[in-house]
Formats: sequence, structure tokens, C-alpha cells
Amino acid sequence: MADAAVAPLPPAMDPTVRKRKTKSGKSQKSNKKRKSIPMASKKPKKPSQKMLKLFRKRARDYQSDEEEDPADAGDEETLAESSGEEEEHEELDAGDEDEFSGSEDDGDGAQLGITKFTEGCRAFKMAFTKIMKKHLSNDPLGPILSANKKLVAEKLAEEVAEQKVKGETKKEKHLAGEKGHVTPANILDPKEKFLISVATKGVVKLFNAVNKAQNPQKGLNPSKSKDAKELAKRRKQAFLSEIQKSSTYDNPSKSNSTTFSKSTNKEDNKESGWAPLRDSYMLTSSKLKDWDKMADPAPVDEPESRHMVSSSDEE
Amino acid sequence: MARFRNKRGKAPVKPPVVKKPPAVNQVTGEKVPKSIVFSRGKLPGPLKQLEHDLRKLMLPHTALKLKEKKRNNLKDFLNIAGPMGVTHFLMLSNPKSVPHLRVARTPQGPTLTFEIHEYALAADVARSQARPRCPQGLFQNPPLIVLSGFGNGAKHLKLTTIMFQNIFPAIDINTVKLSSCQRIVLLNYNSETNLIDFRHYSIRLQPVGVSRRIRKFVQNHQVPDLRNLQDVSDFVTKAGYGSESEADEEAATVSLVSDLGRVNRASTKSAVKLQEIGPRMTLRLARVEEGLCSGSVIFSEYVKEAVAEETQEAGNEEAGD
Repeated sequence: MADAAVAPLPPAMDPTVRKRKTKSGKSQKSNKKRKSIPMASKKPKKPSQKMLKLFRKRARDYQSDEEEDPADAGDEETLAESSGEEEEHEELDAGDEDEFSGSEDDGDGAQLGITKFTEGCRAFKMAFTKIMKKHLSNDPLGPILSANKKLVAEKLAEEVAEQKVKGETKKEKHLAGEKGHVTPANILDPKEKFLISVATKGVVKLFNAVNKAQNPQKGLNPSKSKDAKELAKRRKQAFLSEIQKSSTYDNPSKSNSTTFSKSTNKEDNKESGWAPLRDSYMLTSSKLKDWDKMADPAPVDEPESRHMVSSSDEE
Repeated sequence: MARFRNKRGKAPVKPPVVKKPPAVNQVTGEKVPKSIVFSRGKLPGPLKQLEHDLRKLMLPHTALKLKEKKRNNLKDFLNIAGPMGVTHFLMLSNPKSVPHLRVARTPQGPTLTFEIHEYALAADVARSQARPRCPQGLFQNPPLIVLSGFGNGAKHLKLTTIMFQNIFPAIDINTVKLSSCQRIVLLNYNSETNLIDFRHYSIRLQPVGVSRRIRKFVQNHQVPDLRNLQDVSDFVTKAGYGSESEADEEAATVSLVSDLGRVNRASTKSAVKLQEIGPRMTLRLARVEEGLCSGSVIFSEYVKEAVAEETQEAGNEEAGD
């Protein structure tokens, strides 16, 4: 019925644009075929004047307003445009052309009036699919439809330069932050070994001192009350001896070491400094009288005040 | 009556008891020095990390999680220092030239300003080691401090020594437990380069003359792998790998007062082994100020001549505090 008439019609319609139109029409059809669009009605884009009239009338009847008419005209225009675009792809489409057949026109006649509306969609879809199908050249800018490719390129170049500057400043800042930061070598170098040996010496000194000081208290458990008492007693003695000693020490030669002397007590040299322990303490007081004037040789060479610090200056 | 009881008889709801380290040493009656480490100005990432490492180093008498704000100034820290009993400030700053570390005694000073020529973070140090070591209670006790090479008599060096000695609590050798000596801070002064090497080590004691296998067995209480052995006796008799650096151990052996851990018996000799924990710093004493980040300059690395005579007369008093 209609389909038979429609196929030959386009050539007759507009001789000047005929070639284009047909091609575009064919390509459209081929497109449609590829996509297998369900509403298959609209391939006859170029109906005859008569048919057009009929369509319009039907549309008017159907929708009962004038809007369809301009849309119709618009349809034609968009088609023309899209066909213009298609020119680039004619080669592509050429292969498909022969696939074109009128077989899809079947539903045409029945729905022609209604499909008017969807034709606009179709045109858009075609244009869109055309664009999507486009072969992209290896342009770094990518597909840009606008004419001002140059502007975009400039903008991008600017951005890159900006980024570069930013990166540089960031790097600089990072470097400034890293100033002085070093990562140690995996292998101990001689300097580190030396430092470790120095520290080890210090630790050994301290531990030996502790050993020496605490050995007498060995066997006394501070948590037992009996032992604790004993320890307290010894501590008190030590404290008293401390008083004695610090006063004897207050001579200028030893003044700098007094800053450390907090915890000195060697139990073994009680004899000299331990007057308070004697029974005769405070009774005779002969010793007490000028205890500070006595030059006491014993405490001087005694390793006093093994503070935690063993400043190994002799190295 | 009820009110009265409420006030006196019943104790108010107590907050959960947090065992605080005593502010005063019970034995010697001496104030325990406390310190806070903070930054002046904005620090870059690595220096922030260094700040955290320093806080860890200063444990336990320090504020590990000190929150500082941009607007906090020195006065703020000084204000809290009194009530909290903080005796020392460690301040990190990052001027354009070199990062600086300032160690100050509160509230009066003096302030020592060090340039940090090089530093490595604890993480860097750990990364450089095959087996970084961090046992459970490593940071529960204050470190020991060893100062070496400071003894050439210069006033500023003496001041440095005193400052660093007093930054950690003193140890009474009569009462100290060896198990509490787990870390050591070393400051080594090199008189040729005027640089101070700052190192932080962990102390480990190992029995001498016991093979590694047996030591590990006793320590870990784990069933050893005997697959490669012909006989059980091999486990004891066969020496594993050659014992490492026997020569060093001679100098570094101590006999202990009491048993320490599972393996270190008082009866046997133990070897002292140090392993670095970090951070590591190379410092250079740049300036000594009389006050807290203020006051007259007692010593300056760069204007020695100008300060020399000042040091002469002022030195006696300042060295004391």
C-alpha cells in the first residue's frame, strides 16, 4: 500500500537535494536497521505533497491543535541538517546502503499520523548516534564540537603550566620540610658503633655501681616487713652519713660535683663518717667539735654519688 | 546530720583511680622533673613526627598527647607549667635556615638553643633495622642518660650537662630496680666539630655463654623445632650460629644483683646489648639565654667574642641553675 509508493517517491520530490536526501534516508534506514528500533514507522521521510497533506490533516484530527505543523517543518529541517552531518560518513554508510530494503515500512501506514511526534526524537537520535559513531582522531584535545578549538587548547596549556608551577612550589615546600631529615643506613657505621660502645660503657658503669651498692642488701626483700625495716634502718644510716659527708665535701675543689651528690652512701666507709652510730656519739663529742676542719682523706677518693649519669669525660 | 555525713562520712564519688607517678621521689624527696614538648610555629610533617618521637622519649613524665593550638604562645605553656609541675620545656621550631630545638628550664630559664643539623625519626631507625625491638614496658620508665665528652671545662658545656642531667629523674642506686632501666639517652659531644650526637637506645641484657637457641627456648616457652636434629641432645650441644661479637661482650658484661626476667640470673654474667630506638639527632649548641627564651645571651656560637667577657662574669651564677 503506502510502502510501495513511498520508496520511489523521494527522488521525485526534490531533484536538487535528491542525492543527499536519498543517501541520508538510506543511511537513516540503515541506522534504524542496526538499532532495530521497535517503532519502525518513520523511514518514509519524504512523502509526497499529497501524503504530507494527508498526514497533516490526520494529525490535526488526532491532536486538534496547530503545534504539529511547525514541528513537521522543523522535522524536515533537522533532517536536512543531520544529513549534512552525515556527509562525512557517507563512506561508512555506503556499505550499509544495500542492506536497505522497504521491509521496515510495514507498520507505516497504520501509525503515520501518530509517529509525527516521535520523528523529532528519531532525528535527534540519529544525530546523536552519528556523533557517537564518529571516528576520533588522535587529537589530545579530544572531540570538541565547538569552533574555538584554539581557545580550548590555550586554556589547557595554561592549566598545565599552572599545575607545573604548583607542583614545583609544593616540591620546594616539601624539600624545605625535609631539611636535615636523613634516613639512617642499614649497616652500623663506625661512628654509630662508637656511640653504642660509649653508651654501653655508661650502662655497664651504672649497673656495676648498682650491683656494688645493692649487694649488701641482697636477700632482703623490701616487700617483707621485717626486711623492709632493716632496709629502712640502713637507709637512715646512709642518710645520716650523707649529711656528714656533704659537709666535709663543701670545699671548692668538689663544688661542681655536689650538684650530683644526692645519693651517696657507701656502707663500707662508715667508720670515718659514721660518728652518730657510735655509742659515744654526743657524749664525748670530741670528734664532733671540729669535724668540718678535718681533712678527711677517706671520702675524697671514694667514688661518691654514683648518680645515674656517668659522664665519661675521660674518653 | 545527713548533710554532715554526706560531707564527711561518705567520700564523694571518686573518679577512677589513675595511678600517677609521684611528683616527688619518695626516697630522696626530690622533685621529679617533668617536661613538655611542643612546637613554636608551624612544623612540616617530619618535624611533627620528630616532636612526637621526642615526647615518647621523654616518657613517662611528659604529656604524650599534648594538644597545641596555633594561638598558644609561650605564656600559655608557662601558665600551666606551674600547676602541673612542669620543669622543662622542649620547643621545636622551624625557621627558614635550620630546624631548632630549644631546651628550657621553667620558669626562669636558662634556655639552650640547638640547631638540628640532621635528624632521623624513630620510624626511620626502625626501618633500617632487621628486627626493630619494642618490648612491652619500654616507655614506662624514664631513660638513663649518658653524657660523654662534655668535660673540657667550657661553661656552656657544663650548663648543657646539668640541663640534660636534670631533665630526667635522678636514680638512686640503692633502690633502683634494674628492670626499670630499659632505655638510655646518649649525648656525645664532639669537640672538633662542636656537634652533639643525640641517640636513644634500648637496653637488653643477655646471659653470657648461653646459646641463642636455649635462650630463646627459656624466654619464649615455645616448643622448639627439632626436625633437623638427629638427637635431642643436639639441641643443647650444637651451637647455632657463631656467637656474635664475643670481643665486645667482654667489656659489656655485668653481674646482676637480682634475677632479671627469665633468662638473666643473678648468678650468671649478663651482656649488655643496646639497640637504637630513635629518634637520632645531630645538634649544635647555637645559643644560651639566661631567661626563658629571653634575657641576656650567655653564650652564642656565632658571636663568641662579644659574649666572651659577658660569660666570664655571668657564668658563675648561671651555671648554677
